[in-house]
Amino acid sequence: MSHEYVPEIATDRNGKQHEVQGWQGDFYGGKLGFWLFMLTEIMMFGAMFLTLTYYYSLHPQDFIEASSHLNRLLGGTNTVVLLVSALTMGLGLLKMRAGDVKGAKLMIYATIILAFIFLGIKAVEWTEEYNHGVFLGLDALQSGNEHSRPFGQILFYGMYFTMTGLHGFHIIIGIGLMVWLLKRINAGKVSTEHHILHFNIALYWDLVHLIWVFVFPYYYMIGAGHGH
Amino acid sequence: MSKSYLDAGETHCAIGHPKSVFWQWMLTVDHKRIGLMYAAVIFTFFFVAVFVALTMRIELFAPGAQILDGDTFNQAFTLHGVIMVFLFIIPGVPAVFGNIVMPLMIGAKDVSFPRLNWFTFWLYIFGALIALSSLWTGEGFADTGWTFYAPYSLNTNTNVVTTLVAAFVLGMASILTGLNFLVTIHRLRAPGMDFFKMPLFVWGIYATAWIQLLATPVVGITLILAILEKVFGIGIFDPSKGGDPVLFEHLFWIYSHPAVYLMILPAFGIMSEIIPVFSRREIFGYRTIALSSASIAGIGYLVWGHHLFTSGMSDLAKTVFSFLTFFVAIPTGIKFYDWVATMYKGQIHMNAPMLWALGTMVTFVIGGLTGVTIAMIGPDIHLQDTYYSVAHFHYAMLGGVVFLLFAGLHYWFPLMFGRMYNEKHAKRAFYFNFIGFNILWFPMFIAGWQGMPRRYFDYLPEFQIYHQISFFGALIFITGLIYMFTVLISAIKKGEKVGPNHWNATTLEWHLPTSPPPLENHSKVPYVDFRPYEYHHGEPVVKFNLETMQRID
Amino acid sequence: MDINTYKEQKAGYYKVLAGLLLLTAITFIQPHMFLQNATFGVQLMIGAVKAWLIVMYYMHMKGETLIGWTVVFAMTLVAFFFIVVMVDVDHFQNMEGSHITSQPHIEVDYGHHTASHEE
Repeated sequence: MSHEYVPEIATDRNGKQHEVQGWQGDFYGGKLGFWLFMLTEIMMFGAMFLTLTYYYSLHPQDFIEASSHLNRLLGGTNTVVLLVSALTMGLGLLKMRAGDVKGAKLMIYATIILAFIFLGIKAVEWTEEYNHGVFLGLDALQSGNEHSRPFGQILFYGMYFTMTGLHGFHIIIGIGLMVWLLKRINAGKVSTEHHILHFNIALYWDLVHLIWVFVFPYYYMIGAGHGH
Repeated sequence: MSKSYLDAGETHCAIGHPKSVFWQWMLTVDHKRIGLMYAAVIFTFFFVAVFVALTMRIELFAPGAQILDGDTFNQAFTLHGVIMVFLFIIPGVPAVFGNIVMPLMIGAKDVSFPRLNWFTFWLYIFGALIALSSLWTGEGFADTGWTFYAPYSLNTNTNVVTTLVAAFVLGMASILTGLNFLVTIHRLRAPGMDFFKMPLFVWGIYATAWIQLLATPVVGITLILAILEKVFGIGIFDPSKGGDPVLFEHLFWIYSHPAVYLMILPAFGIMSEIIPVFSRREIFGYRTIALSSASIAGIGYLVWGHHLFTSGMSDLAKTVFSFLTFFVAIPTGIKFYDWVATMYKGQIHMNAPMLWALGTMVTFVIGGLTGVTIAMIGPDIHLQDTYYSVAHFHYAMLGGVVFLLFAGLHYWFPLMFGRMYNEKHAKRAFYFNFIGFNILWFPMFIAGWQGMPRRYFDYLPEFQIYHQISFFGALIFITGLIYMFTVLISAIKKGEKVGPNHWNATTLEWHLPTSPPPLENHSKVPYVDFRPYEYHHGEPVVKFNLETMQRID
Repeated sequence: MDINTYKEQKAGYYKVLAGLLLLTAITFIQPHMFLQNATFGVQLMIGAVKAWLIVMYYMHMKGETLIGWTVVFAMTLVAFFFIVVMVDVDHFQNMEGSHITSQPHIEVDYGHHTASHEE
């Protein structure tokens, strides 16, 4: 809104004045709204973890076997990359709130770079898996041919590509949001006084990190220590 | 002097400041205009789906194929279900009355995120267009039923992926509506209005918004997983790879059962608004009705397995779900007792809204009780997937949700348009609808009990009599629908003009300075230090100076 | 925000980072060092602790009441869905006859079952 919003006043029967909360300039409302949106992401990834657990319980050995073949070095590096990016994003928000807009922008750039590194490492991982014949659409993950893996492994890898893929998709969206945030800051629409957008995008990035905090051990670590 | 929200003029728009009336409506962020646009669209889709149903009833008039073959019939009931569930009844009351009335009831100027509201409306339109586009591409509309069960949905060549994408987009619209309403109700209530001073319709919308927000994502991801299964063969629903179709059913119904509470809770909210006004009495048991809405929303998340009684779930799970399902009927029963107690010794005014509300009490009780029958595992083994289920959910959804939606239309019509429809014709239309509805659906309980399966386009001759009676009822019912809509639509332009509080009601949406409401809602936000349904000897206790919104009683 | 609050909060962020890095290291060591038969549970528990740190501090949940309760509500629902569906699949009936619990190269031979195989 281009004009400044002035809140209304309601007067009760004793003459006491009460400020009316309008939909404009409602920082807490913006925060609440975004948290509610993030709850929907929890429900979605929750349902995917449920699917994963369902099949883990039916095929525990296959799951552990399949997990042991994932690249823990690359996955672990990505974990650290994402962790540091959560720090840079958080520091960026702190700087914005403290008035250091330039510093905030630098931190956002740093986060974007780390996000690209994450995606790059993921691409390397997936390529490696593809080269081993393990990928959606390839024989190993189809049934009834000579390369077919056992059911549990097909299901493990099916959900692996699905969940890491959807997680990667959320990272791409996060990069888009951060680029948009930089544009809004440059346009003066996001500032130390009005930074709900920055706050919410930082929350989003933390959510992306949160999902990985569970994806990583569930896929990569359950088969660790099994001789691969 | 504020112009009414219907007139052309500067309205707040999502993008820019358009001069033409057309763009002012297309880009409007005003909750009242958005609600009206939802109404126009959803009722159009409603009639499309009614027409599809009529086609099915014609086909089913006699055994054997008449006008449809088996495959087309499968597409017909899928189309009917997808439109009715995803395009009509789930947006339904929240999209229309949640948008138009709820902010007025809490004394707000709009919802918390008006531009998101605008975006959500167009997201809904986008999803609807995707769904309908699949009628004319490829192998035609999906033929899986609106429930898309695996493994058939994985193997069929009809446009399942398109419909799944459409349902996902529509689900997003539902989520965003719920989100918007939750923040609105938490943040924008008028000063002094704590939760237990909110009108019960707002409680209904609030409880519904929680279901919209938390349950819909589960079906959202299920649809995505089904798309990934079809396109990439990830294996989770495909038995040839070890996938379990029962898992699909679990995930699907984890949403779709709470979805029915999403449908009925706002409708019950409408009932709670109408009963006190037309009994001229304060509602009986305000707190219990409010808390029962919350309990229905909560317990409703726990009972989905009763859709899987015959699908291969473990006996333990069946027992748990049957037990929990009985529980969810209790808060609903409490509401009914409270409504009847409100009417007791009240001055009953049998206007059209009240007639619809009372009619719904009859039909919803039948719908609800027959639900309890099939909540019992033993009978359900026999009755699952028969016409008994079909009759049950139509009594509950059509005779419950939709009838109350119609009641809401008749109740809030003078608010929306500043005019009144012809009461006599409106009441006659109700009788056509009510009588036709019962002749259409009641025989199906009997047919189902005798064994008539659902979603079958052909049947044994012993069932024919039921189909014929139903067809006769369908004709009366559709006549009633057309009659009712004609009465209402003609009154939009030609109805008798009325003032802002035609029913002499108590809640805040009736205390606006002009009829129809000004764009900016209340002249000033009032301070709320009163309960929502205070009547004294049939007259509202609280009176306002409509310019200053100060109490003058 | 004044400079002291800024320094405090910045220090807090670094402390959380250190905690998260430490927990990540434990994640890698655990399968080779301790509680190896409970790897699944331990890993997810470590994940839960990391998640708690992120939610409380990075996402500023400490000090929020309403938002905290909504998160608890959502997670309780997810937990209920998990528990019920997992109890259901753990009581999988007729497992011997089920196609999806047998491996692809095993022929399920329906012709030779005798009465003693039936429950």
